Amino acid sequence: MGRSKGPGRSTQPKQKWRKILYGNREYPDNYTDSSFLQEMRKNVHIYHVSFHEAFLGAGRVTNALCIVVLFCVVFAYLYKQSLDPYTVFVYNCAGTAMGYLWYRCQTIFEDGYWNYFLRDMRMVVIFLAVGFALSPILKTLTETISTDTIYAMTVFMMFIHLVFKDYGVSAGIVSSSLSFNAAIFGSICLASRLASSFHAFVLLSLSVEAFVLLPVLMVKLGQSVTLLVLIISVTITALWSLSSSMTVFFILFICFVNVVCPFWFLKWQVYKENIYGPWDEATVEDADNICLE
Amino acid sequence: MPHQVCMVSDFFYPNVGGVEEHIFNLSQCLLRRGHKVIIVTHSYNDRVGVRYMTNGLKVYYLPIRVFYNQCVLPTMICSLPIIRYIFIREQITIVHGHSAFSALAHEAMLIGHLMNLRCVFTDHSLFGFADTSAVITNRFLQISLFSCNHCICVSHTGKENTVLRARVESNRVSVIPNAVDTKAFSPDPRNRSEDYVTIVIVGRLVYRKGVDLMAQIIKEFGPKYPNVKFIVCGDGPKRWLLDEVRERCGLQDRVELLGALEHSQIRNVLTRGHIFLNTSLTEAYCMAIVEAASCGLQVVSTRVGGIPEVLPPQLIYLTEPDVPSLVEGLEKAMEDLARGCAVDPFECHRQVSSLYNWNDVSQRTEVVYDIVTKDESKPLGEQLQCYINGGVLPFMLVVALCHLILKTLDWLVPSKTIDIAKNFDQKTFKVQQVPKKLS
Repeated sequence: MGRSKGPGRSTQPKQKWRKILYGNREYPDNYTDSSFLQEMRKNVHIYHVSFHEAFLGAGRVTNALCIVVLFCVVFAYLYKQSLDPYTVFVYNCAGTAMGYLWYRCQTIFEDGYWNYFLRDMRMVVIFLAVGFALSPILKTLTETISTDTIYAMTVFMMFIHLVFKDYGVSAGIVSSSLSFNAAIFGSICLASRLASSFHAFVLLSLSVEAFVLLPVLMVKLGQSVTLLVLIISVTITALWSLSSSMTVFFILFICFVNVVCPFWFLKWQVYKENIYGPWDEATVEDADNICLE
Repeated sequence: MPHQVCMVSDFFYPNVGGVEEHIFNLSQCLLRRGHKVIIVTHSYNDRVGVRYMTNGLKVYYLPIRVFYNQCVLPTMICSLPIIRYIFIREQITIVHGHSAFSALAHEAMLIGHLMNLRCVFTDHSLFGFADTSAVITNRFLQISLFSCNHCICVSHTGKENTVLRARVESNRVSVIPNAVDTKAFSPDPRNRSEDYVTIVIVGRLVYRKGVDLMAQIIKEFGPKYPNVKFIVCGDGPKRWLLDEVRERCGLQDRVELLGALEHSQIRNVLTRGHIFLNTSLTEAYCMAIVEAASCGLQVVSTRVGGIPEVLPPQLIYLTEPDVPSLVEGLEKAMEDLARGCAVDPFECHRQVSSLYNWNDVSQRTEVVYDIVTKDESKPLGEQLQCYINGGVLPFMLVVALCHLILKTLDWLVPSKTIDIAKNFDQKTFKVQQVPKKLS
């Protein structure tokens, strides 16, 4: 065919090279034009996180950690019998009622305040009645297991609770139900170490408030530095009365999570590099529901 | 200078697809040009051992189990002895791997590289950079291409993609497009319906081929144009979507779903159509549109990947990968058809045959073979250094282990004890065949 085609041949190009497969006969096959990779774009949809955002984001983790620590402190006092379960229950109820009223004030009511209120009250009554009736069973459920195993299990469950919790980022490992169930299972484990079934009932209702209701309230409250500082100081005070060495460790850990980690995150943001080009798969809307319209 | 080439890929006949077609046609043309070509692939069900195909093309179906998606498990060392044996037995000088997804091709290229053979790799697909799986796959490709002398991509977009993914120097990558056997895809306007405008879709019905777009277009076009007929040829996990659209819109008489067809029957379907619709979301080359243009159809296609490079503008209507743009493209094609200013099918066929043929592809591949033959072989130390520079120290240990196993095999099974296979001789084969048939 006598075509000067193929890599390595030195020929005098006559026509301008074009990005087509049916021409460019004068150019060798491994010719790289100056327009090579011209259509490539970098970091098109990139979003740079500010320190404030990173700090508040890490604050969500700190928040969850503080709640877990506070819950464990209350358990420790109940266990040592230095805290009366009735007092805990009364404070609990008062706190929950206040939180509930504030939360409901934020909601817009379509079919009247009373309907909502009655529905919620029915839920509360059902929960308290069932919880109170079942607390002897829940208390004896894990009684035969040795205390060391119970503590190890609780630590493990709380760890799972913290790892899988929804911190507002759509990551693959987030699973709210797993996180919640782990926390409740951890509390049931702890409940079996307490003195009476009323103790167990108080601890379990506290765990539902701390791990189910409080996060809902927190989302409504939004993120703020004041709130974060408040909850950290309360936790530190509570923990200090129990163990000073643990408090030091806790403070160091909080510093790591809330200062060092956001700092690293910001520092390494410069390495974000996304490449886009004509080779990317086009995204189309799913037409699976096309027939239902 | 004749070369002794060994094509390696997990994908070969009886599997069907673009890669398989490419390997077969390229091998046939290289054989005709006087080279020696053999093919190595893994076994397909009871198809194990050596088989001969058209023109004495020798195929080794290695007894290796399929692991995932028609690929073998890349153990790096388990199939090493048999691949070495074949390379020595067939006196191979060039190992040519196909497809980035083929584990067997990567293994064979590494072994060939350690045996001081020249390695060529053809990349048939595009890959993104966005997700974790892409990051891992791209890393593996980079590792594998350390042992490769030259790469071939099927489009310029493919070359850009490969250079970015595997970080090979751009002058080590050649662009050689696929071709189409235009003689098998000739137009026949007599097959076309007089009363209807027929739109043909050919391809596997998977997400990447844009089945969601197809369904929306059928839904929109069906009621709007009562003189339009759709023929969909192909099967896949998203077929139900088209079935459902056809059912709900009451288009049973105007949407024909043919299911998967043999490649030889595709032409008979294509010649029934006026317009060919391609809705792919990503494509390195897209053989389907070239086959359709060769049959004289007006091609409407999404502008993705390497598609804009394939056909000259007068033969294709390029659109964005969304419904309004595709509808506009189709309407324009129908308008041109009605006004009689569409390119004549035979003229279309003539143009495509002048642009693409396998002979041209094999000649250009031959040039690549000539270049890699001239490459100097790297000493082992330098080869291993590549992996350290690439930041993949663990893989260097694997390569070193492969080298040691090869050395041990050289001592256990010296190459002089391996029988050299006789080359297939076309002439003597015919002489022997004829009397047998007579008796």
